[in-house]
Amino acid sequence: MKKFLLEYANVFAYTITGLIFGLAFFLLFINFYHMQELAETVDVSSYNDTNKATVESKIETIRNNISVYNQSTYTGSLNIYGLNTVQLKLQDCLEILESEDMMKYFELDEIGIKDSYNFTLDFKNKILNDCLVMQVKSMFNTDTVSMLPNFNVIKPYVELNLDTLLDSTNYVQSNIENSDHYYFSTETNKANFFNLVDDSYSDVMNSYQNSLDLLVEVSNWYRNVVLGG
Amino acid sequence: MKKIFNWLFYGLKFLLLIAALGLTLFVLIRMNVRLEKNMMSVLPELIPFALLLILFIVNMIFKQKGVNENIFYNLTCCLVLATIVCVALRAVLDTNMVLNEKYGYGVDFNFFDNFVAYINIMLYGLSIANILFMFREKEDKVQKSKKLKKA
Repeated sequence: MKKFLLEYANVFAYTITGLIFGLAFFLLFINFYHMQELAETVDVSSYNDTNKATVESKIETIRNNISVYNQSTYTGSLNIYGLNTVQLKLQDCLEILESEDMMKYFELDEIGIKDSYNFTLDFKNKILNDCLVMQVKSMFNTDTVSMLPNFNVIKPYVELNLDTLLDSTNYVQSNIENSDHYYFSTETNKANFFNLVDDSYSDVMNSYQNSLDLLVEVSNWYRNVVLGG
Repeated sequence: MKKIFNWLFYGLKFLLLIAALGLTLFVLIRMNVRLEKNMMSVLPELIPFALLLILFIVNMIFKQKGVNENIFYNLTCCLVLATIVCVALRAVLDTNMVLNEKYGYGVDFNFFDNFVAYINIMLYGLSIANILFMFREKEDKVQKSKKLKKA
């Protein structure tokens, strides 16, 4: 009986050791696999060249549009405080757009998950918050600007687009942050992950271009206001 | 050859246990400092490590061949402890994991936290297997039965 129990204990011990061996083997190699996945880079050189050209052309359009007004030479009848405010706010946005912190992403030939994530954060902090909310949205809440022509047309347009843009990259940020959690992977999340770097970057870049389009529209309105008045 | 590998894994498991314990302690202490939690709350997480260390020392002192000369058990110990070391090192050093930098702690607690349950399962499992491997027939009895069989 004792011999049987001892043999049974031995078999049980080997079973436990075998199961733990399997689990440890799985966890160790899945870690190497996950490490490789996270180190994955995507070639964006040609994509960035095209985007850089588009962004530079839009920035140039905004600059030209806001330079039509000069307080010292302006002879129109519109409120100059309103015109000054719009010009200054758009000028601040231009500085943010042309800052090294934002332009550095267009110089990258290859991007990793970290670059995608940093781009998402910089876009949210600098373009969405510092430019669109702090400058453009606040601009439309000032009394002097509300006296400018077609204010009632441009304001709802800007607010509608702004609301869409503010939420546009939240899911991208969450997706990237969730890539740190790695349990047992499925085919679906593997497929998602391989595209995560590329997709996140493209999504944020699209939102970036949409933000620029919005600024171009605002600057066009400003140009028409100045020249019309 | 088998003996050489066995002694290699036997020695390695002690080194890896100390490394795994040290790194786990480091991550847990950093996490508790960040959360401003009492340091005593780290202790339950260290029980499986302490238990395994005590069992290894008992195996060594009483020269328990059922465990010490069991190459499969020693290999599994090395694999488990290497996994814990790998997970802890990644939580600290793998900067591709974005949450590592996001909060500026220098340690990705979310990632490490995912593996805490597995670490406990594996360490408790190894302790149970160790205790079960301790029980075996005395050698003189085994030799006697072998002699009887030969006769």
